[in-house]
Amino acid sequence: MRPRLAIVICLASLAVSGRALAHHSFAAEFDANQPITLTGTVTKLEWANPHIWFFMDVKNKDGSVSNWGFEMGGTGQLLRAGWKRDSMKIGDEVTVDARRARDGSNHANAQNVTLAKTGQRLFAGSPAPQ
Amino acid sequence: MRTDHIAAWRGGMLALVLVCATHGTALAQWLSVPVPGTPRTADGKPNLNAPTPRTADGKPDLTGVWHADTMRYNDNLLPPGTQAPMLPWAAEVYKHRVETQGYDRPMTRCMPHGVPDAMTVAGLPFKILQMPTVTVILFEEFHKYRQLHTDGRKLPVDPDPAYYGYSIGRWDGDTFVVETAGFKEGSWLDNSGHPHTEALRTTERFRRINFGRMDLDVTIDDPKAYSRTWTSDTLHFLLSPDTELLEHLCENNRDVEHLENFWQGQQAAPPTTGR
Repeated sequence: MRPRLAIVICLASLAVSGRALAHHSFAAEFDANQPITLTGTVTKLEWANPHIWFFMDVKNKDGSVSNWGFEMGGTGQLLRAGWKRDSMKIGDEVTVDARRARDGSNHANAQNVTLAKTGQRLFAGSPAPQ
Repeated sequence: MRTDHIAAWRGGMLALVLVCATHGTALAQWLSVPVPGTPRTADGKPNLNAPTPRTADGKPDLTGVWHADTMRYNDNLLPPGTQAPMLPWAAEVYKHRVETQGYDRPMTRCMPHGVPDAMTVAGLPFKILQMPTVTVILFEEFHKYRQLHTDGRKLPVDPDPAYYGYSIGRWDGDTFVVETAGFKEGSWLDNSGHPHTEALRTTERFRRINFGRMDLDVTIDDPKAYSRTWTSDTLHFLLSPDTELLEHLCENNRDVEHLENFWQGQQAAPPTTGR
């Protein structure tokens, strides 16, 4: 429990700090007015800079499956926030609070990630909307 | 024999305790590592309010891992509510950059932030290493660096333009004054997009307030872009104690594709030079 508590506290403090990376304009790529919450199964994790991306399969209402990509912070920011590169594994079921990409593609900026198996809510270290 | 067994058992238990205590902390030993010379309170925590550390010659020592206390300076270098005295062409460029949410911002393509905004990305710290004849700034973002020479050399005449320019430093009392010239035109002064030309000269004044805090004022002198010199808001930096920089290379830049979709069809940027 202790490490988890530490992670939550650390993440909470980071969440308050808000947008902390400036590699690109958040507002040009993502729409703060298009929040979206999706649940799916992780298919790919790119633990890399300047931004970590992960992908997951989401079941649509008609039974088809769409693959979505989510941007997070950089590796250093997430490591400092208590993440490890195996905090989220391929095959994990997760729920993501995100802001959709302006170009209408199946991409979004992850704000929070919740692991279904533990209920652990993790901050994604992504830049907050401008 | 029995004593040997007890010693071996004790040794094994000690090893087990050490393994348990350090389980999963291989990275923590890098991210969280006691930095020698850090003043500490009675409970062993870094004392960020301790006096400014000094070098053997009595000058303040700026060495440490630092980060900006806010992203505000990165957004806009100027004090809130003030405007930079931009010449008309510079104002046109700036307006375009603001209206297009940073069209062609160099960092989008992993080109560097400039002087001084490379220090203002709050989530990506920088490390100052102060040595007798040179002070080095290592930027975590994109693994970049600056050298601030303090060996008495002068600024170069007609240097090959460079993103971070050419810097010399000197002490004015407890203030480290850094003059930089020889800039390349590509960098932005901040993320809003205040432009500059190759005529830019910056003067940075660093003051380490105490162990945990450092302030910086930057004067912008670019007669080809601004009608007069102007000074930034005071930038505040906080020390990140007992930690280290991490690698940050631009290996997975997926944003460009999405941003190009957003920018597609927008009006082309006006020329970025006043010459």
